[in-house]
This record gives sequence, structure tokens and C-alpha cells, in this order.
Amino acid sequence: MSDSDTIAAIATAPGEGGVAIVRVSGARAFDIADAVFICHHPPPSRRPGGTFIFGKVIDSDGAILDEALLLLMRAPRSYTREDTIEIQGHGSPVVARRILQRVVSAGARVAEPGEFTKRAFLNGRLDLAQAEAVADLIRARSDRAASAAVAQLEGSLSRQINALYDALIETAANVEATLDFSDQEIPEGVLNPVIGELDRIIANLHAVLSTWNEGHLLREGATVVIAGKPNVGKSTLLNALLGRNRAIVSSQPGTTRDTIEESVVLGGYPITLIDTAGLRETDCAIELEGISRATRELAGADLCLYVVGSPYGPDDEDFRVIETIPRDKLIIIFNKADILNYYNIFANNYHSFIYTSAMTGLGLDDLRAAIIRKFDHDAPHPDHHATISTRHRSLIESAIQAVEAALIEMKKESGAIDLAAAQLREAIESLGAITGRIYHDDLLKSVFGRFCIGK
Amino acid sequence: MDACSKEYDVIVIGGGHAGYEAALASARMGCQTALICMDRNAIGRMSCNPSIGGIGKSHIVAELDALGGEMARNADYTGIQFRTLNSRKGPAVRATRIQCDKQWFPKRIQEVIRSTPNLDVIETVASEIIVSNGRAIGIRMEDGAPLRGKAIVLATGTFLSGKIHVGKSSWAGGRIGEKASYSLSECLKRLGFRMGRLKTGTPPRLHKDSLNYDKMEVQPGEQTPPFLSWDARREWEKFHVEQNGCQSAMFHVEQATDPIRPWPPGWGQMNCWITHTNERTHEIIRRNLGDSAMYGGMIEGIGVRYCPSIEDKIVKFGHHDTHHIFIEPEGRGSIEIYPNGTSNSLPENVQIDMIRSIPGLERAIFIRPGYAIEYDYSDPTQLSASLETKLIEALFMAGQINGTTGYEEAGGQGFVAGVNAARKARGEPPLIFSRNDSYLGVMIDDLVTKGVDEPYRMFTSRAEHRLVLRQDNAWIRLADRARILGIVSPERLSEYSRAQIAIEQERSRLETNFRSGISLWQWLKRPEARFDDVADEASKPSRLVAEQLEIDAKYEGYIARELAKIAKADVIEKIYIPHNIDYKSITTIKHEAREKLQRTRPETLGQAARIPGVNPADVAILAVWIERLRSADKEGVAGRP
Repeated sequence: MSDSDTIAAIATAPGEGGVAIVRVSGARAFDIADAVFICHHPPPSRRPGGTFIFGKVIDSDGAILDEALLLLMRAPRSYTREDTIEIQGHGSPVVARRILQRVVSAGARVAEPGEFTKRAFLNGRLDLAQAEAVADLIRARSDRAASAAVAQLEGSLSRQINALYDALIETAANVEATLDFSDQEIPEGVLNPVIGELDRIIANLHAVLSTWNEGHLLREGATVVIAGKPNVGKSTLLNALLGRNRAIVSSQPGTTRDTIEESVVLGGYPITLIDTAGLRETDCAIELEGISRATRELAGADLCLYVVGSPYGPDDEDFRVIETIPRDKLIIIFNKADILNYYNIFANNYHSFIYTSAMTGLGLDDLRAAIIRKFDHDAPHPDHHATISTRHRSLIESAIQAVEAALIEMKKESGAIDLAAAQLREAIESLGAITGRIYHDDLLKSVFGRFCIGK
Repeated sequence: MDACSKEYDVIVIGGGHAGYEAALASARMGCQTALICMDRNAIGRMSCNPSIGGIGKSHIVAELDALGGEMARNADYTGIQFRTLNSRKGPAVRATRIQCDKQWFPKRIQEVIRSTPNLDVIETVASEIIVSNGRAIGIRMEDGAPLRGKAIVLATGTFLSGKIHVGKSSWAGGRIGEKASYSLSECLKRLGFRMGRLKTGTPPRLHKDSLNYDKMEVQPGEQTPPFLSWDARREWEKFHVEQNGCQSAMFHVEQATDPIRPWPPGWGQMNCWITHTNERTHEIIRRNLGDSAMYGGMIEGIGVRYCPSIEDKIVKFGHHDTHHIFIEPEGRGSIEIYPNGTSNSLPENVQIDMIRSIPGLERAIFIRPGYAIEYDYSDPTQLSASLETKLIEALFMAGQINGTTGYEEAGGQGFVAGVNAARKARGEPPLIFSRNDSYLGVMIDDLVTKGVDEPYRMFTSRAEHRLVLRQDNAWIRLADRARILGIVSPERLSEYSRAQIAIEQERSRLETNFRSGISLWQWLKRPEARFDDVADEASKPSRLVAEQLEIDAKYEGYIARELAKIAKADVIEKIYIPHNIDYKSITTIKHEAREKLQRTRPETLGQAARIPGVNPADVAILAVWIERLRSADKEGVAGRP
């Protein structure tokens, strides 16, 4: 049986729901079940794994806390590979917390963030990449994100990285061979295929890296900033995209002084919409601060909707802002198209632009479609379902850097092959760190620190 | 002297390269030491290739020299050709190979042993290890008489149940013409050691006057011999200052009477040659594979992948039309030639046909055929990092008995085992070498954590911190260890210190003096820059110091990164696993890993992490357990796992 103490947590998301689950894992899980749960004979600890039992959760004084189902999983046939019970009560957060308290008073300890998954990992059920995918699955905010997380869980990232890891090991072995044997001992031209092979590995690493954009959008969600001069209808546009009145709107320029954030799901992408203060020359300190925040948001945005509200199109002041935004992150909105008679002054192919009326709903579907298209474009590999996290990204980037440095040494006339070999070892270590093929204590810590409680 | 009545501190069994290093180290540390061998004239014999060094191997020899071993000096003083290998592949893999005089090499070692205080040579066959209460207390000799010792080093080479094969005939023997030892092997099995079988081989020996050297490519030594030992380097430098670079042409080999210094080191180098096999050679081998001891199924032991027999080369690398054969003289006075690359176990007549198909060897006269030898080894995972066995206290093992191949690997282990046997006898804790400080540490850690499934040979790629563990800085890396051991002379130790101080001073001079806007240190970092470009005529440092500064400057970034990694890796190396840990009870560790851990019983978490089959998750669980055991100990909680 397991050697570790018994942990418990509320496994369902906070808030009102149909059902609230308290999960308990560890050597004492069944003892705890017997203590807190009454049901028909036999008691839970004497029932086979995989059974549901109907009964009641009772407090230490015998008072009934809730009617509940108890799911019993025997080691190793559970997520953590330990004895596990799940108490499924009615969905009140208050009741869920009382059940958790009861379980703790019966001998469990409240789990640390990510501890269930950590145990699954330590007990050999998951590799590191899979464990991270579970973290993403829990945090996934839309169906689309969830399916990418599932693909990673099934090891598609692990497979890709492992294949590259093996290729790198094989290539590095050729380099190592030239170091450990004199020229006469090894066949000529052992190094010939190395440069081509390293180029190929770099290309593949870049391909994996490009899925980061998609992964990042799906995981953290995309940030879409609405910007423009005052009183062009930015807040009205926010409300229209949200489908409810979130921001105060008025005909007064400068109504929005601070940035406003709201979430919306578009085409499967979790999106944070940010409405900003209108950009203009002003002496008002509050408005100035609002404008400087707006500028900061623009810099970090995945997409900017720059709203124009004049029939003459963007003026010099608008262009000063527009030109600071990368073209592929910009959609120009000609708003109030219902009342303004826009001239075709802006008919170039250089910028994406859309005519809308946030008031009447004109052009809003076009805008939504354009936003989704834009994010689909950032996710250029429809078959790369697995997506990578920020940690993966920095490891892959350092692997690429190391392989590139190795290539430079290899291509130099007087290049030191021992340095090239050292770089290749770095790259191998970086890739191995993704799937846990190299032991590294810090790695485990950094991976498991990110988990939310319950799984 | 009546050896039997005396209790030795250390008894070393075997007079090969592991044996003499062990015995010398122990005796030089002041311990009463006995070296047991069958024939004192066979001590230090080079049973295979008459050369010392090679890539990865010369790193070990340089380390031995820094610590006070004898191998480097012995090679330098009896060397007949000196070469640097990998000179253009970077300093980390630069290596030295010394062709030695096959007669003088053992002769010199024997003389060194004869003149070393505290060291007795006893000619006998050790038949049994005497064990009392789990501790080795002596050995039983051929005649049944006991010989008491506080610590025993087993360095028996290929003699344990050795069996020699030439074609289909085979006979018992430790080397050609020498008898094997069976009872000791039986004794080890009785004591509970897991034993296995390995094989190695050696080429035929040819008469030097029967070869046509015109058909071969000559391979001369280097003008300035790259010595492996501090002493030979010093002597050469001194000599060349005094003689103003003029060679001592007046010296003749006939004068070689002093076995300690038969000739000035580096003097009168001899040539080697290169020739090649051809399709006819390969055809002869292919046609007779069935008669080869190795391919005919006569040998059960596993051979060396890295030093393949010529049969192996033809079978496994059939797509190569030709293989290099190195023609190496065995010494100044010797008539024997060692055709390196033709190791085989074919019948003698086939060997003759095969050799004579090679250009330059058409009229070769055989002095001895090549042969294969199988022998018993003891699974080295049964050792701790001190090379003491985990099963029997005060019993140490070194060299081929641990599944290694090569004089250098043997000598390295012999030295470490000798040192630790001496420390055991004196009741001191062992001196452990780690992967972070030396190739010695890399080799021993590989052996005790991973074991061997073929004869183990050193490679630079086995060292993860290769850029830091260079041959050129062995004396810096191991200076502190050398001081602890006290085998190296105080004069040399203070030379180490002076050179280290000179490096520091020169470095700060370079960092604080500028030329065209950049410091001289930055200047030296340029790939084409040499130390002479930035040298200060007033305080010109030695070549040794200049070399370190050049490498340090050019590799600074890399070295800093390696050192940071070492510091990080060091954490789990310092987590010791309690001896009483019961792996069977840690059911969360994978079954396979649990078995491996139970079998190997690693000393530290770092060792555990390197055992094949133990994955990171297992190590993480083990870390948690160690932590828990320790806190349970602290709290005095009984009954907890």
C-alpha cells in the first residue's frame, strides 16, 4: 500500500453546480470513508474497487451533512494509483466545504495545489508532459483548448519531442565519435551528415515552437484591445461584442478613464476584451493615466481593434498610433457606419478593416469572423493538436539556440568540436527536461507549482 | 624475511597495472604492503598493446600522475614514441599516446617496487580470501599458509579462470605462457559475489625484420614529446635550457643500464607505420569464420565493442573495403612488432594467411599467434565508490576483475583501491573521487552504478563535464587530493601552488591591462590569439601557466556554465541513502527500479539516479523516503517506514 499520507480536496470548480466532489487519496482513504459515510452493509472499505455506493455523509456527532454517492477506487486503479474515494454531494459550496472539513477531521490533510497530479506522476502514471497537460486541462477555458490538452495528455507532444530527442542523440553520437576516436579509427565523413541533420532538427524544433502561439492563445486566452480616439464608440463596441452593457457609454468624450476587461469565447478561443481610454491630448491627470495604461495594453495585445469614428478615415493622430501596431495584429474598425458616410479613402490592401455599427449591430458578425480568422492564422498547424506551454517554449528555444551554436562551431574552419559537442549536450538536456528524461529536482517543483488544487 | 608471521596493512593480489599502482600507493602512504604475484619478473608486463594513453585513457594517466601514481612516469621514461591525439579538436579531448618499450616498461616498474620502502613482493598464488565476521582478514597462499592483512586488494586481471583460445584449441591460462587461477574465483563465488564472463583478445606478434616498410606509410613521433608526467616534463625543460635545445646525440641505447632512467625521456623516438587490409584479407577471414574461437561459438564471454577483433570488423562493418593496421615496434631491443588492429582468435595457419595478404606483411614471420582470452569478472555494482566490496568489509577490487579493459583503467582503479585499502587499514574514511572532479570518478561511478555488460573502456564522452575535466588541468583539479594523500613530493606540491598563484596573477594582469581599448584578457579570447601575443617579457610565465590561461580565456563562458551545472548536480550527490533502507517496502517505486536499487544499493541519491532502469519519478519518490526516514530518525518515531 501507499507510503504517503492521505490528501483531500474539493475537486469541482468553486461556485454553484449540479454536483460537488470531494476527492480523498492515500493509504487511509478507505478508513476515512468508513468513518464519514454510512450506507448498507458492507462498509465502503470492504467493497470492491470501481463501485458506487449510495449513503449519507455524517459529522463526528452523527449529524447528517449530505446525501451523497461514494465512488471507490482501489490502488493502483485510480488517477493517483493510490486508494481513492470520491464523495459526490449536492452542489452547494458550503456543503462541499463541510464534507472536506469532516474528511480532514477523520485523518486526511488538505492537498497542496497540484498534489493529486504530482502523486500520479510520482507513482509512474504520467510522464512530465502528460502531467502538465492535466494542469492545462483543468484550466482550459473552452472546448477547443480542452481538446488540445487531451491530445497532449495522450502523449503527442511527448512523441514529437522524444523523436527529436532521439534524432539529436544520434547526431550528437556522431560528433562524440570523432572526439573519442582518432581519424584513422573511424570511417571518413562521419561528420558529413551532421550539419544537414542539425538543420533538420532546428526546423522541426521551430515547427513545434510555432504551436506555442496556438497553445498560448488556447491556454491563457487571447488579449484583444479596443483602442482609438475618444468618443468613437469603443465602449459601445465592447458591449456589442459581449452582448450586454458592461461599459458605461455616453456621448461625452473621455467617459472611459480606466481600462475595462471582460471575457468572451469566440470560435473556441477564450478572449479577454479590453476597452481602453480614448487616446488624446489632455491635461486631466486621471485621463492621462488611463491613456498611458491604454498604450501599455496595446503593446501586449494579441490583437488590436482600432476604432475610427470620422467619415474622413484615420487622421495623422490615428496613424501615429496605428503605425506602432504590427500589421498582423491590427483590425481597423470604421464604426458608426450607419450614420457616417465613409468615403472610399482607405481602400488599400495594406490593413484589414471592417465597417461596423456597434449601435445597430451592422458588421459585427464580420468582425467576429475576422477575429477568429486572425487567431486561426496564428495557429497554422491544424494537425499539431498538441500545444506547448511557456516552460516548453523556453526549453525548446534554448535547445534551438544550443543547436545553432553547435552548427556555428561545426561550420567554422578552426571550430572546436568539443565545444560543438558541449552545445549538443545542452540541447539534449533541454529536450529531455520536457518529457522528464533527465532528473532535475527544480523541474518537478516548477511544474507542480502551477497546479490548481484538486487535481 | 618471514612473511607469514607478519600482519600486513594491505595485501595486493596481482602484479598487473592495477596491482602495482595499488601496492605502490599503499606503501608510499606508509602502510606495510605485500604484493602477491606468481612471478616477480612479470610485474608490470604489457600483455597486449605496448602503449600507454589514448583518447580518454591519457586523462586517467595524467590524473594518476597528479596524485602520485607511477604509470605516467613509467611510460615517459620507457617511451619510444610520443604523440598528441585530437590536437585540433579542442583542448577537452586532446590526448597523449606513448608507445613504450615492452622490455623496459616492466623492468622499470619492478625496480621502482624493489626500491620502495614498506613493500614486499611475495611469489605465490592466492587461493582464498580469509573472512571473519564479514571482514577480510587475510589470504591463504598456494601452500595453504595464511597471510594476514588488514585490507586486501584483488587485482587479478584476466587470471580468474582464464581460458585462452586460438582457433578451435583452447587451454587454461592467465596470459599466454602463464597459468590461470581457479580457486580464487571459486572462493569469490562462495562468498556470494555475482560473477560473469568477459573476453578480450590480442593480435599476433611479428618479427620486425620480416616486414617491408617501404610499402607502408610512416608515422613518426612528435619533435617535442608530449609527456604525461610532471617529472619527465621538468627534466626535458631543464635539459633543453641547459643544452640550448641540442639533442644528446652522444647517448646510445647500449648505455641503458639504469632501469629507472634507461635513457633521457623522449630521446631517440622510433617510427610506427600504417598499412591496410584489402578484399583478399577479408575473404580469408570470411572463409574461416567457422574456425574462429569467437565466431565458432567456443567463447561465451562478451567482447569489447570498441576494440573489435578483426573478425568483428569484417562481420559487422562488411561495407568497408579496407581497415587500418598500425605497425608498432615493441621496443628498442625487441625484435617484435605489434600489428595493431589484427586481434583475432583464428587458427594459426589462417592467421598467417590473413596477415600475409596485407601490404608490407607478405613475408611476415610469426613470433606468436593472436589469441582470445576469457576470464571471470565480478559485477562491479557490488562495490562502493571507494572500490571496497559491499559484501565483505576491507576487501577491494580493481582492474579487469571489475570488468574493465586497458592498462590505464586498471591503473586508475588500482591507485584508488590501494589508497582506500591503506586508509581502511589505518581506520580512516575513504577518499572518494566524483564525476565532477576526475575521469577516475567518472569511471568508478559508471562501474558501481551501471555495472558492465562488455569490457569497460574510458571515453571522453562518458564525462558529462568534459570541458572542465581536461588532461592539461589534472594537476589543478586534483591538487587538493594530492595534498591529502601526501604521496606526491612536497617540492612538487609547492610547484603546484606556485603555478596556481602564477595563473591568478597573470590573469589579473591581463584583465587590468588594455590594448586598443580592450583588456588583454579579451584579446586572448580571440580564436587566433596566443598567449605570447599578450605576454609580458618581464614576468614571462611557464608554458604550463600560459596554456591554462589560453584555455581559460577562450573557454571562459563554457567553463563557467559547466561549473554552475556541477554545483547544481552536486546537491543530489550529497544526499546519502541510509544503509538500512528496505526497497521492497517502497511499493510506489516501479518494480523493476526497486529490484535494481535492491541489487545495487547505491550510496547516494546521485548514484541511484544513474542506475539504468531507475527513472526520475523513482528518484523523486526515493528522495521523499530518505527525507522521511531522516526526520523519523530525528523525532525518534518508531515503527514508521
